[in-house]
Amino acid sequence: MSSEPMISLRQVRKMYQGQARPAVDDFSMDIAAGEIVVLVGPSGCGKTTTMRMVNRMIEPTSGSIRVNGRDILSADQNQLRRSIGYAIQQVGLFPHMTVAKNVSIVPRMLGWDRRRVEQRVDELLDLVGLGAVEYRDRLPRQLSGGQQQRVGVARALAADPPVMLMDEPFGATDPITREHLQSEFLRLQKIIRKTIVFVTHDFDEAIRMGDRIAVLGEGSLIRQFDTPENILAHPADEVVARFVGAGASLKRLNLRRLSDVAWEPAPGRKPPASLPADATLHAALDAMVAAASTQVGVLDADGRLQGLVGIDTLMRAIGDTAPTADPRAEAALEGAAGSVPTEGAA
Amino acid sequence: MSSAVIPTAVAGPAPRRVRRVGLGRLATPAVVVTALLGLYLWVHSAPLDSIEQRTLNTGYIASAVREHLWLTLVSTVFVLVIALSSGIVLTRGPMRWLAPLATGVANIGQATPAIGLLVLLSVWRGIGFSTAVIALVAYSVLPVLRNTIVGIRQVDAPIVDAARGIGMSPLAVLLRIEIPLALPVILAGVRTALVLNVGVGTLATFVNAGGLGDMIVNGIKLQRMPVLITGAVLVASLALLVDWLGAVVEDLNRPR
Amino acid sequence: MTLWEFLQSRQDILIAQAQEHAGVVLVSMGIATVIGVLTGALTYRKPRLSSLAISLSAAALTIPSFALLGVLIGPLGLGYAPTVVALVIYALLPIIRNTVVGLAEVDPALTEAARGVGMGRLRSLATVEFPIAWPVVLAGIRVSTQMIMGIAAIAAYVGGPGLGNQIFDGLSDLGGVNSTNRALVGTIGVIVLALLFDLALVLVGFLTVPRGVRTGWSPLALFRRSLRVV
Repeated sequence: MSSEPMISLRQVRKMYQGQARPAVDDFSMDIAAGEIVVLVGPSGCGKTTTMRMVNRMIEPTSGSIRVNGRDILSADQNQLRRSIGYAIQQVGLFPHMTVAKNVSIVPRMLGWDRRRVEQRVDELLDLVGLGAVEYRDRLPRQLSGGQQQRVGVARALAADPPVMLMDEPFGATDPITREHLQSEFLRLQKIIRKTIVFVTHDFDEAIRMGDRIAVLGEGSLIRQFDTPENILAHPADEVVARFVGAGASLKRLNLRRLSDVAWEPAPGRKPPASLPADATLHAALDAMVAAASTQVGVLDADGRLQGLVGIDTLMRAIGDTAPTADPRAEAALEGAAGSVPTEGAA
Repeated sequence: MSSAVIPTAVAGPAPRRVRRVGLGRLATPAVVVTALLGLYLWVHSAPLDSIEQRTLNTGYIASAVREHLWLTLVSTVFVLVIALSSGIVLTRGPMRWLAPLATGVANIGQATPAIGLLVLLSVWRGIGFSTAVIALVAYSVLPVLRNTIVGIRQVDAPIVDAARGIGMSPLAVLLRIEIPLALPVILAGVRTALVLNVGVGTLATFVNAGGLGDMIVNGIKLQRMPVLITGAVLVASLALLVDWLGAVVEDLNRPR
Repeated sequence: MTLWEFLQSRQDILIAQAQEHAGVVLVSMGIATVIGVLTGALTYRKPRLSSLAISLSAAALTIPSFALLGVLIGPLGLGYAPTVVALVIYALLPIIRNTVVGLAEVDPALTEAARGVGMGRLRSLATVEFPIAWPVVLAGIRVSTQMIMGIAAIAAYVGGPGLGNQIFDGLSDLGGVNSTNRALVGTIGVIVLALLFDLALVLVGFLTVPRGVRTGWSPLALFRRSLRVV
């Protein structure tokens, strides 16, 4: 890594009193500016504890954590937290404050003037896809779960922190809304380029969201820290393979979108199923199966048919993402996949 | 706003107050015993004049305590009979709509000055024991009634439904399901009523119905602090003990 | 003399006594609210301390008011002082208890979020937790107010101010021409004052409970709530 990492943890340890083993043991990791690192692992593995030490919601027992070149342990806790975005599963919107007041809480604590705060609120609400005019003065309880999560993200982004910590931020929503929020957030991230530590127990979410994924075991032990592609193709060990779970090959289809593969020219007549260009290949396969077709149409932003993608393209895509397939890893993967129903994924 | 805090009445021992069972339960008797012992030593160390001697002797005190307890017990029995039966009636089908009205009146009754009630009753019925009992009953029937209604109504509808579904008669549903489940709340009301009766019982002296209020009034009128303090400490101890007994009974009846 | 004639002939003194009664309750409630809310806020995070505070104030509430008033004559003499002290003591339990319960019931996700955005303890308490707990605290204040209205009447016996004096005058004059009138006016006067105070507190709630933590303000809901304290 050429430039200095945005977040750097060194031999971080968290020991709770009265517990035999540390919750987080000797954890070291560098996170580059602008990347999303997902910490994924079974519940109780220490992933949330690890994340929460970055803004000192939990004090590390030992080790050092630097954010943006600054040692966080020497900073004032509250000042530190105001400079790091924080979004949690329960969202925690303050029920007695309007959406605008919730979003602007950090800028107001930082003493921004009113005009600037108001501008920022409107900008953020638009950014997360809630019309500022319509939603500014609403109360949290007047919002749907998905809308609350968006406001939560907007609040975390309010003071434009370079670093964000997200603990299953889309966890409390139904699967359809979650997927929607995920892709929306990824689109947003292309603009805002934050450095993000993202915690989840859902491996599929990890694949979707992560630039890199750290699969953690007990005591926050890093079992594998790599790109989603590489983890799917070469799980480091049996445990990771089991965690990756069944259908690893199919999951790889989640990593690429219709816009990433070559299209055949659009035919004159309408294909039985069509999807927007930013749909994943997994969604494309799904649509084909549902429509009992071997092709799927690709639509542009205005819903016009622009091309066709066939089943063989998808097959090639699965192969592509694992160009240097290690036969042993594949074998382990298949074996693990087969064993899932009996042993159960972590 | 949740139902975590059930409206307790006036002299309200909280129905669900945080408590530790066991040693913590010994605190009240310990405090009472200490207070009584202190009182005894203080009264004995002070030289008493003739007025004080007339009241501060075992015979007089025992009869005042007995009167006070009798007044409390009689009133409480009436309260239980009236409040429990009307509470049950008011949660049955045809009378249901009256229940909110009853709880509403119970809440307003909280603001009624007990002394006013007592004086009005003696204007109407003359002074004496029975007037005092009626005043006490009128005053403390409301919290028990309210807690009975609230207690029965908070029993989960599906539970009652299930009981009826397996063929229990309405009476069996009431006796075997609703009342046992409502018991903690009802008991809290009874405990409140007892404590209220001990307290309002001090005012019975104003209608010549005796009790420990006599000692307080005599102490104030004759400016004899030892008499006043003895009466006050005794009646406070009585109230604390009655409340403590109620708490113990509640503990024993707590569903686990 | 009819009740109406009585009211007219004693108008001045009755109004003065009603004002005194309201005044002593107001002062006592003010003191009790400050002490009770502070006690609740200082102890709600430590269950042992808060249960101690609640137990102590519950025990105090158990003591018959006439006895407490009598005991207070010793150190404080007759009149206003023992009245206020006794009323404050009786008003504490509902306020402390509801403050503790209200604050303890605040969703942990909210305190977590408040910490997460960099709020200190005090700021979180003042801007997030207390406003959310406020309806519950206010309900406690309403219960206390109703309760000490009636107790204030007894305080007239130890020289306290207010409408209780009418009741005790009626008592000492039992069988006299105006004893019924006096007792009626005193008793009903206290009830009316209590209702007025309760109405005022409902209004306070309407004005101060943040919109986001209200649970509906339809007339029916208001009525229901006025029946079901807390």
